[in-house]
Amino acid sequence: MVSMSWWKWLTILLLLYVFYMGLTVPLKSGILDVNPLRFVCGQKVEIHVNAYNSFYTQSKSIRAYLKTSDSFLLKDTDVHIESDHRLKLTFELPDRLPNNNNISLASLIIDSEKDGTSVLPSKIVLIQDSINNQVNRITKGWYAGSKPEFTILSEFRFPFRNILYETIRNTFFHVSLWFSMFGLLLLSIYHSIRVLKKYNIEDDIKSYSLITVAILFGMLGIFTGSVWARFTWDTWWTNDIKLNMAALSMLIYLAYLILRANISDPDRRSKICAAYNIFALVAIIPLIFILPRLTDSLHPGNGGNPAFGSDDMDSSLRIVFYPAVIGFTLLAYWMSELLYRYFMVKEKWEELDS
Amino acid sequence: MNRYFKIRTVVFLWGVLIPLILNSESLDFMRNLGKIYVVYSVITIIFIGIILFLIRLERKISKIEKSLNNER
Repeated sequence: MVSMSWWKWLTILLLLYVFYMGLTVPLKSGILDVNPLRFVCGQKVEIHVNAYNSFYTQSKSIRAYLKTSDSFLLKDTDVHIESDHRLKLTFELPDRLPNNNNISLASLIIDSEKDGTSVLPSKIVLIQDSINNQVNRITKGWYAGSKPEFTILSEFRFPFRNILYETIRNTFFHVSLWFSMFGLLLLSIYHSIRVLKKYNIEDDIKSYSLITVAILFGMLGIFTGSVWARFTWDTWWTNDIKLNMAALSMLIYLAYLILRANISDPDRRSKICAAYNIFALVAIIPLIFILPRLTDSLHPGNGGNPAFGSDDMDSSLRIVFYPAVIGFTLLAYWMSELLYRYFMVKEKWEELDS
Repeated sequence: MNRYFKIRTVVFLWGVLIPLILNSESLDFMRNLGKIYVVYSVITIIFIGIILFLIRLERKISKIEKSLNNER
């Protein structure tokens, strides 16, 4: 046990940290649903709010705002706390929408002293009833200008995203698998190039082990992504370009395994497989990294943004995500090293045997 | 199974149970509790994948070790 390399102990520590933090850190509170969703201006309206991970009964002050798409705010006139998760908000909608639009999609912002700020983006439909001009003029209006002070929690929490909810924790597991796979494939290229320069069995087997484990992690990435998608996007697969390219990359590398199994002469096998490996990596780089950024899609990292801009990756997620990538990459390298040692022992034994 | 019993079961089924099941969008297993079970299933899938790899490797090494011992 003691003779295990330092980086294997580091792997264990990192993965323990990732599993502990990834599973126990709570989410920020957020708004689950709002009822009703459609309002006509010029009236006093009551909104029922259902929230997640909130403690409204323990909060000293709760404020609510409606924010239009052009950033005008309207404050509530009354907040009635029904339970820890339910609120009834009363707004007096002015006659006219700001900028005199006919219809606006508004966001609901709830600021609670105990839970921080929650936002339900662009779900509430406000319709300006331009006919109802004279009756019930409400003078309280939309205001732009200086924004109110929103409460920022000092506790460490993961961001709340509608649709994802707790599954945002999958970022540490699903995404790390792909980063690990790619790291291993890059390392296998190094060994493949060395084999092409001068045949030696170590580099040949090293690149083979690395690719085998990389394929395992890639398949795990596809399965976990599929399960994640089923319960967030309601489908096991989608015609998204990133998903299709990931599946295609897996097929390219599975073909490597088949190629490897079908050539018996070790010298030829190592050279052909090394050359295939290099071509395969060069092929999947544009498929996975470049093509998805040229198109818009549901999967994060597309539509012109790099995979982890500030939209997708909160700084609280990064604290666990970067160690997760390092931890899973080291774990994959450990697994490939075990495979390598097995093949080398098998080679020696076969030499002894013959 | 008299008539009274049949009426009661039909009323319960159509009046209570089925509306409850149809209405509760968040009562199914995976989507409840903020979808935390999706996270658990992802972790389990990764764990099972790695365990299967280790089991396969374990068996291959045992086979070689056995052959080595038999040679000696």
